Amino acid sequence: MNRTGFTTTIPLEILLAAERIPVDLNNLFITGGRSLELIEAAEAQGFPRNICGWIKGIYGAVIEGGILELVAVTEGDCSNTRALMEVLSLHGITTIPFAYPHDRNPRALREEIERMMAHFAVGWDEVNRASDSLESVRRKIAEIDRLTWDDGLVSGAENHYFQVASSDMNGSTKNFEAEVDGFLAEIAGRTPYRDSIRLAYVGVPPIIDDLYPFLESHGARVVFNETQRQFSMPYGIPDLVERYRAYTYPYDIFYRLADIKQELKKRQVNGVIHYVQSFCFRQIEDMVVRQQLSLPILTLEGDKPGPLDARTKIRIESFLELLGEQQ
Amino acid sequence: MRIGIDLGSRKVKFALVRNEKVARLESFDTLSFYKRFGRMDGDDLTFDLAGTGFFSASELAAAAIVATGYGRNTLNLKGVRIVSEIRAHVAGALFQTGLRDFTLLDMGGQDTKVALVRNGRLQDFVMNDKCAASSGRYLENMAAILEVDLSELSSHWDEPVRLDATCGIFGESELIGQILRGHPVARLCAGVNQTLVKRVIPMLKRFPSDTIVLTGGVALDRALVKLLEIEGFSVIVPDSPQHNGAIGCAVMG
Repeated sequence: MNRTGFTTTIPLEILLAAERIPVDLNNLFITGGRSLELIEAAEAQGFPRNICGWIKGIYGAVIEGGILELVAVTEGDCSNTRALMEVLSLHGITTIPFAYPHDRNPRALREEIERMMAHFAVGWDEVNRASDSLESVRRKIAEIDRLTWDDGLVSGAENHYFQVASSDMNGSTKNFEAEVDGFLAEIAGRTPYRDSIRLAYVGVPPIIDDLYPFLESHGARVVFNETQRQFSMPYGIPDLVERYRAYTYPYDIFYRLADIKQELKKRQVNGVIHYVQSFCFRQIEDMVVRQQLSLPILTLEGDKPGPLDARTKIRIESFLELLGEQQ
Repeated sequence: MRIGIDLGSRKVKFALVRNEKVARLESFDTLSFYKRFGRMDGDDLTFDLAGTGFFSASELAAAAIVATGYGRNTLNLKGVRIVSEIRAHVAGALFQTGLRDFTLLDMGGQDTKVALVRNGRLQDFVMNDKCAASSGRYLENMAAILEVDLSELSSHWDEPVRLDATCGIFGESELIGQILRGHPVARLCAGVNQTLVKRVIPMLKRFPSDTIVLTGGVALDRALVKLLEIEGFSVIVPDSPQHNGAIGCAVMG
């Protein structure tokens, strides 16, 4: 089977219907063990220093990982993806653009989905079958999420991992579902966490690798991973177009905030970490997030992969001290 | 009796606090301090505090010693507690001003820190990152190009010549270009001071307070204070801005 990469979450159902092995290029880049080297290599090729690390990392992961075909999300995510697509086409890589309509127009989204289906030569029957085959694992991941905030049995890092991995099911739905089953069995006997501070993690997944353990070593646990949860399509909506309209990440910040506000309340969150990637347009949206949420917010910025730096650690410690005092 | 040490990038500062009063302040050039009194013990930095002559043997024996600054992560002095710079600076500003709610602007040799303090506690802070333009070291470089001392540089704020380079090194050649255009030195000095204000305003606006407490060596730049006031900020410079971190360490002891 051919591997097909993608730059951010796209209708996975179509790739599975076309019998492709899905590869979330972000996951490939960040878990490959050579993420920093990939960025440096991309900069040596001419990628500017003041461009998002994920774009450079994806470039490196595609070249080094031998990906020959990818779906590039050109609207609803970062516009740098367009230039990335152009540069990759010079390497002979097939790029398929996919655009989420900014206004969430159902007809426009359906056309976009059908364009992608036409490229992969699959019809609605195959796509709906693939969709059904994903439902069971998606329900289990939603349960892992519930066990995080409701029962306190899952760490913030575990919650992050299972949800973020669901964008491509780690390349094999069957193996991933077995991993999920194993995890659910393992945590059944756990003692619930007794953390005093409940945090929300809002924004794109972190490029920093030790954020969650650092928070937990200070008595705080992430009980809501906003975009990671979105990647897992937890809505239980049978219609594919409606499912990808419910998906908040590619649409405007106010639509995302409606979901965030609802979850913050439901999960009894004490404070919010808003993570932004250096040089990302979402850094601008931080102003809106700060204005719209009433809970204390700490904005963290990450640039390159690696552990938390000393000053970010001090900022987190101060934030947690503040939250601790407020309780 | 408590001793605070702030190992800065340009100066090492010392404060002795006795009965909740600052009893003595000292400072030393960082490089010569490390050369004369520092040594590596394995991977740890250690230094001969008694050899500095700043403190008597009995003071060193009796005092609680707290240190912060650049060298803090490698520092290993018996009986010395290490604290983070931001906490030391906030503690120093609280002690020196008696205020409980303010925005701290600390401008040192390399670092610019902006901290929001509410009800006497640090709420959040930002720091310059990757770049140290608009630091004390930048001011020293620009003064050297203009062939003036720091006191002269800090006495001009009227009609600043516009300087736009985002890099402290390119800023030097931009300044040379403006010298060639025949601008008077006073206006060029004002321009250099204005660049500091432009750099820190976005950080200050992120944490708005009625009062800015300005500390660090750059707080001695009177023109900076004037220019911040022109921008509408109410600025307080404590008595010993350069020793604020060392005083903060001492009061945390």
